[in-house]
Amino acid sequence: MTEDFSVDQQLLETLLDVVIPPSADGRLPGAGTLGLTDTIARTVRQMPMLRPVLEYGFSALAELATRRNAGGWAALTPAERADVFAEFFLPAFLFLAYSSYYQAPRVVEALGLEARAPHPKGYPMDEDDLMLLDAVRRRGKMYRGC
Amino acid sequence: MSEMTADVLIIGAGASGAALAWSLAETRMNIVCLEQGDWVQSTDLPGIATDWEVRQAADFNFSPNTRGRREDYPVNDSESPIAVSMFNAVGGSTILYAAHFPRFRPSDFKVRTLDGVADDWPLDYARLEPYYALNARMMGVSGLAGDPAYPPKEVPLPPVPLGKLGMTLARGFDRLGWHWWPSDSAIATREYEGRAPCINAGTCLVGCPQGAKASTDVTYWPVAVRGGVTLKTRCRVREITVGENGLASGVIYYDADGVERRQKAEVVVLACNGIGTPRLLLNSRSKQFPDGLANRSGLLGKRLMFHPYAMVTGLFPESLEGYKGPTGCCIMSQEFYDTDTSRDFTRGYSFEMLRGFGPVYSALWGMQAGRLSWGADHHRDFADVFDRTAGMVVICEDLPDEGNSVTLDPALADADGIPAPKITYRLSENSTKMMAHAVARGKEVLEAAGATATVVESPLRLAGWHLMGTARMGTDPRTSVVNSWGRCHDVRNLFIIDGSIFVTAAAVNPTNTIQALALYIGDTMKKNLATLFDD
Repeated sequence: MTEDFSVDQQLLETLLDVVIPPSADGRLPGAGTLGLTDTIARTVRQMPMLRPVLEYGFSALAELATRRNAGGWAALTPAERADVFAEFFLPAFLFLAYSSYYQAPRVVEALGLEARAPHPKGYPMDEDDLMLLDAVRRRGKMYRGC
Repeated sequence: MSEMTADVLIIGAGASGAALAWSLAETRMNIVCLEQGDWVQSTDLPGIATDWEVRQAADFNFSPNTRGRREDYPVNDSESPIAVSMFNAVGGSTILYAAHFPRFRPSDFKVRTLDGVADDWPLDYARLEPYYALNARMMGVSGLAGDPAYPPKEVPLPPVPLGKLGMTLARGFDRLGWHWWPSDSAIATREYEGRAPCINAGTCLVGCPQGAKASTDVTYWPVAVRGGVTLKTRCRVREITVGENGLASGVIYYDADGVERRQKAEVVVLACNGIGTPRLLLNSRSKQFPDGLANRSGLLGKRLMFHPYAMVTGLFPESLEGYKGPTGCCIMSQEFYDTDTSRDFTRGYSFEMLRGFGPVYSALWGMQAGRLSWGADHHRDFADVFDRTAGMVVICEDLPDEGNSVTLDPALADADGIPAPKITYRLSENSTKMMAHAVARGKEVLEAAGATATVVESPLRLAGWHLMGTARMGTDPRTSVVNSWGRCHDVRNLFIIDGSIFVTAAAVNPTNTIQALALYIGDTMKKNLATLFDD
């Protein structure tokens, strides 16, 4: 994935699908189908402290999978993969999965937002009705003079 | 290599250093500012890309320990429940602040007289008021006049929009009959002095590419530099040197290439924040000042005050459009600001409303709060948190305690080998009781606003934004480090103008007061140039 960080592509994509499967209504895709590899690699470059945790975590997951099935992670069913991930819970991977998935244009658009950076367009907001402040105004001075 | 002697050398180009540089520029003195960070270009800010929320956890993290940029210095905060937040650049921490910009209240300067705790300041609200007003014009403060929690004050720009989220929370306060008011924010809501208006992008905490947020790199500095101030970036000061006469003679610093240099100066001004200033003075030991420069009182680095923060977040049944609008500013409440003897704590706190999160942070917050599962139920859970959260931070007044301190870490150092600071801090019993009260009231108002559930983080760890009290001002050299206009009692050509000099912390964000003090000190220096070093 990067010069310093690599992971088995199939393990990565199937694990992403374990963590974020497709939504029941089909509106939101599974994370493993979105091609998040580059995004994940970029995040690991931005947060190098994640790399050793992930490398250890993936290695431990692969080992646990092999203990269950000699064919390893690839031979497990989705339910078995979820069991293995639950057994060796890896919050750093959740961070990566969530932060990558919720940047993906297809996901952002499915949430009803435009798939773009906040700048330079920003967001329009309506003017507020501040009549609600009348009750506060009626209270009068509420600071101590000195 | 020796440089030309500066008339005034300012160390630090953040909130206070910028304001003082601008104030003194009209004297046409030779003013030099050394800043360990660099200019931040708008194109380097995360808000222009879709991974902006991730970069908030990485190279634009509040914590210098997590960012680990070369211009940062590490802070050992392992003995504190609150971790230090700061940014090192032209503009300092204003690059990342929320720009929530309240003033202190008059009673904040008289806490001993009014409430029998801590100490009164050696100046009062009336003394600072003209400088608050000047700072409002220079920074471009938005808000709404008429807040009954304050004496009448000037607000140059209309308030930031409350939006659906802000109005929802306001109705909660209204139902309980509690005070609330649109926040004073250092955010241009209209075109202002060459700055473009806020576009409600919601990226304030990772910098504002629009230039609407008043970080001092877009407010004071351009004017100060045009006025003749020399600003040298990527220059990290190691120590302040002292002459045989006991006065500061200049500094030794490392330039961008790590080369040791000297800068002589007639006057040295520290604007390095409540951690950086005591660190530098403690690193400036000499035969004349064996316990650190300007530390004959023994108080340097002591009485460290943060604002203990808690965050209370409500989950609402409908969309709040919380990803729109300035992040940290929409409304605040000072219903519980003053001492009430029926409570089990002294002094009080403010509530400051927060916007919601974008998709990435919604997921990360949901994970941290235990409200977002992975696997089959993930999408159902995410739908319950995304654009359904609104909340507040509780900002508690921290009373000074000499046990809370900044010292030098015996092992930790920055990239230039300069010893790093160590923080020793504990939450007081008063703060703990105050936070419990505040969290309970926070839940109450969120429920009144329609929240179906609340999530509490208390104390908020990465919330050490406000660094105060470590070189306090006062009239007695035995019990204070600087006098009422920032001049060190022990070294009469050495000034401190950052949050270090605060006597007490109040229960609001300090930047406006830090800058008002810097402007006041600048004016006092200008008025007393001929007698600046006299008793």
